[in-house]
Amino acid sequence: MNPTDRSAASEPPSEVTDDIDEAALAEVMRVTPLGAGVLAGSAVALLVLGYLAIYLLVFLPRGPVG
Amino acid sequence: MRNAERLCLAHFWVAFAAFLAACILGTWQMWVRSPWGAHVGTPGQYFMSVTAHGVSMAYVLTTFFIMGFGYFVAVTSLGRPLPGRAWAWAAFWMGIVGVLMVLVTIALGQASVLFTFYPPLTASPWFYIGLVLVVAGSWVWCVLMLVAMREWKRENPRQPVPLAMFATVANAVMWLWTTVGVAVELVFQVIPASFGLVQTIDAGLARTLFSWTLHAIVYFWLIPAYIAFYTIIPRAAGGRLYSDTMGRLTFILFLVFSLPVGMHHLMMDPQHGNAWKFIQMLLTIFVSVPTLLTIFTITASLEIAGRLRGGRGVFGWIGKLPWDRPAVLATGLAFVMLAFGGFGGLINMGYGMNAMVHNTSWVTAHFHLIFGGSVVIMYFAIAYEIWPRLTGREHDSLAPLRWQLWLWFIGMMVMTLPWHWLGLQGQWRRVANFNYADPIIAAWGPWVIVSLFGGLVLLLSALLFVRNLAALHRSPMLHAQRPLYALAVHPPHRVPAALNGFGLWNVLVLVLMLLAYGYPIAQFVIEPSPAAMVHRVH
Amino acid sequence: MTDRPAEVHEQRILGTELLWAFGVGILVAATLSVVVFTALSRDINPPSNVERVDPKTLHLSGEFAEHNLGTTVGPDGRVTARIIATQFMFVPRCIAVPRGRPVTLRIASPDVIHGLLITGTNVNTMVVPGFVAQVHTEFTRSEDVLMPCHEYCGLGHSEMWATVQVMTDDRFKPAPDGRVSCAQR
Repeated sequence: MNPTDRSAASEPPSEVTDDIDEAALAEVMRVTPLGAGVLAGSAVALLVLGYLAIYLLVFLPRGPVG
Repeated sequence: MRNAERLCLAHFWVAFAAFLAACILGTWQMWVRSPWGAHVGTPGQYFMSVTAHGVSMAYVLTTFFIMGFGYFVAVTSLGRPLPGRAWAWAAFWMGIVGVLMVLVTIALGQASVLFTFYPPLTASPWFYIGLVLVVAGSWVWCVLMLVAMREWKRENPRQPVPLAMFATVANAVMWLWTTVGVAVELVFQVIPASFGLVQTIDAGLARTLFSWTLHAIVYFWLIPAYIAFYTIIPRAAGGRLYSDTMGRLTFILFLVFSLPVGMHHLMMDPQHGNAWKFIQMLLTIFVSVPTLLTIFTITASLEIAGRLRGGRGVFGWIGKLPWDRPAVLATGLAFVMLAFGGFGGLINMGYGMNAMVHNTSWVTAHFHLIFGGSVVIMYFAIAYEIWPRLTGREHDSLAPLRWQLWLWFIGMMVMTLPWHWLGLQGQWRRVANFNYADPIIAAWGPWVIVSLFGGLVLLLSALLFVRNLAALHRSPMLHAQRPLYALAVHPPHRVPAALNGFGLWNVLVLVLMLLAYGYPIAQFVIEPSPAAMVHRVH
Repeated sequence: MTDRPAEVHEQRILGTELLWAFGVGILVAATLSVVVFTALSRDINPPSNVERVDPKTLHLSGEFAEHNLGTTVGPDGRVTARIIATQFMFVPRCIAVPRGRPVTLRIASPDVIHGLLITGTNVNTMVVPGFVAQVHTEFTRSEDVLMPCHEYCGLGHSEMWATVQVMTDDRFKPAPDGRVSCAQR
C-alpha cells in the first residue's frame, strides 16, 4: 500500500499553482463578495430575528427565573 | 506520504469502526425510548449503551480521526516526512489499549456513568484509566504536530506556515490546554475515589474541572472541519480561498476563546454565582465570532468558484458550483446544518434562556446537529478526499458518496428538529423509557417516532459511508488527481509572527483562563464544598 | 503580472471582512442589549445562590429534615418549597404552588448530582450535593405539570419525577402551620 509520489498531496502549497486564469480571477473579484455578503448576511439576520422571537414569544411568557 | 499512510489509515479505521458501532447503538436507544420500544431494553442495558455511544462518538471517533488527519496534514502540507513516527505508532497502540479498557468495563456494566461521568457516581477505575491512555496518546500527537511545525520553520525561515498546518497546530495547542481540566479531575479526584482511596469527593469542583474540557473539546472536534473549509474546499470547488489572513485569525480566535467559556455548561449549577455566569455569556459571544467570520469567508470563496464558472448576479454563482463533487456538496449541507445548529447554540448560551433548555432534548438536538451534522459530514468529506491519496486508488463512482451525504443530512434534520420542539415542551435527557401514559408525555410520542425515523436514515448513511471507503480498497488505481490544498486569492509571502506562531496567544489564553476560571476553581480550595459520598456503579 | 492588483485585492478583501465583522457586531450587540435590559428590568438570571450544605447530614435536622419539606407559607406571606432530590425520587412527590405569586424553590441532594425542570416554565436547576439549589419564579398558568429529574443519577433516573400542582388562590390554602399540600386527585 505505497502510493507513488506522483500523488500531488506531497507537494507543499507554496510550490503548487492552480489553473485559474489571473485575469478571470481579477474580473470575478470585482463583484465578489456581494453574493456572500447578501447570503451570509440574510442568514445571520434570520438567526437574530429567530433568537429575538424565541426570547420574546416563548421564554419571557414562561415566567421569571432567578 | 511514505509510510505515514498506514499510520493515517489505522487511525481512521479505528475512528470509523467506533463510529459505526455507535450509530447502531444510538438507533437502538432511540427505539427503546420511543413509544414503540416501551417493552424493550432494561435501564441497565440502555445506560450501558448510552455510555458506549457517547464515549465512542465523543472520544474515539473524534480523537483518532483528528490524529490521523493531523498526521496527513503534517506530511502533505509541509512536504516533509513525519517526525517521530515511532512515537506516533506507540501513541496509537496506547490509545487502542485505552479504548479496549473502556469498552470492556462498559460491557461488563461497570461503567454506566455516560461520557460525562459526573461524580459522585463512580465507575470502575479501569474505565477512567482507559480514557487517560487515549488522552495521553493524543498528547503525543500534539507534541509531534508542534515538532513538525518547528522543524519546518527552521528549514523555511520567515516563511508563512501553510494554513492547514498552522490550523492543525492551533488545534493541538488548544487540545493540550483543554485536556488539563479533565486530567486533573480524573487523576486527583475520580480515579482515587474509584479505587476506594477516598470515600468522599467534591462534586462541585469535579463538575467545574470537567466543564473546562467540555466546551473546548467541541472546538477540538470542529477545527478539522474548518481546516477543510479553508484549505480543501475552495480548491475542490475550483476557486480560491478568499482570505488566508482571516483563516489564520479564525483559528487563533478559536484557540483563545474556546477555553474560558466552559463554564457556560454550568449556568444552572448552584456552585457558581451570577457574575461569573454573566462573564461566561460575554466570552461565549466572542467564541461565536470565528464562526461568523468563517461563514462569510468561505461563502465568498465559493462565490469566487461559482463566478469563475460563469455565475452571474447576486446568487447565480450558487447554481454554478460543482455540486457533483462530494466535498462541495458536503460543505453546502454542512452550512445549512450549521445555521440550525448555531441557532440552537445561541439559545443555549443565553444568560436567561439557558434555563428554558438546559438538560432537555433541545441540548441533545443541538449537539447532534452541530457536531453529528455539520462537523461529522465534513469528516466524511475529508475522508472521501484523502482516502484516494492514502490508498492510491480512486472512487469508482461519486454517486454513492453523494447519496451517503444526502442521507446523512436528511436523517440528521429529521432526527434533530423534532428534538428541538420536544425540548421546549420540557422533554428531559438521558431517559431509558418515558411514561407515555402521562398526558403531557403522550403528546410527545409521535415526534419521538419521527426522530426515530431520522435515526434509521442516519444508520443507513453510516453503513453506506463505511461501504464507500471499503470499496476504495478494491477500486481502480488512481490516475491524475487535482492537488488538494487551495491557494488564497492573495497567497501570503510574509505574515507577522503573531499569525505564524502561538507564543503570544498562549499568554492570552492564560490570562483569560485566570479571569474566567481563577476564582471559580480557587473557591473550592479556599472553602471546600461539603464533600459528597462516592457512589459506585460497579 | 505586477504586484499591484494583488495588493489591491488584499486591501479590499480585508476591508470587506472588516465591514462584515462590523455589521455582525452590531447585530450581536443589539441582541445582547435586549438580554441585558430584560435581565436587569425583570431580574432574570440563572439560578445562582451559592450556599453550602452538608449532604451527609442534611436530612437529619434543620431546613431539609423530612418534616420540613414541601410548600410552606411564611409569616410574611412568602411561599417556599423545600425539596430533597435523591436516588430515585423527589421528596415530596407532589408540590403545591400558587399561581401568580413569587415562589422560591430550595432543593438539596444527599447523594449524587440531580437536576430538575418544571415543564412549561423556566424553572431549571442542577442539584449538586454540597450546595442548596435555589430558584425564584412565578407560575403563570394554573395546571398540573411535571418536575422530572433531568440529570443522569443512576439506573433509576428514568423513574424520577414529581408533579407540581399550580393552584389558583381559592385552592391554595395554607394549613395553620403554613404548609400547603397537593390536592388529592
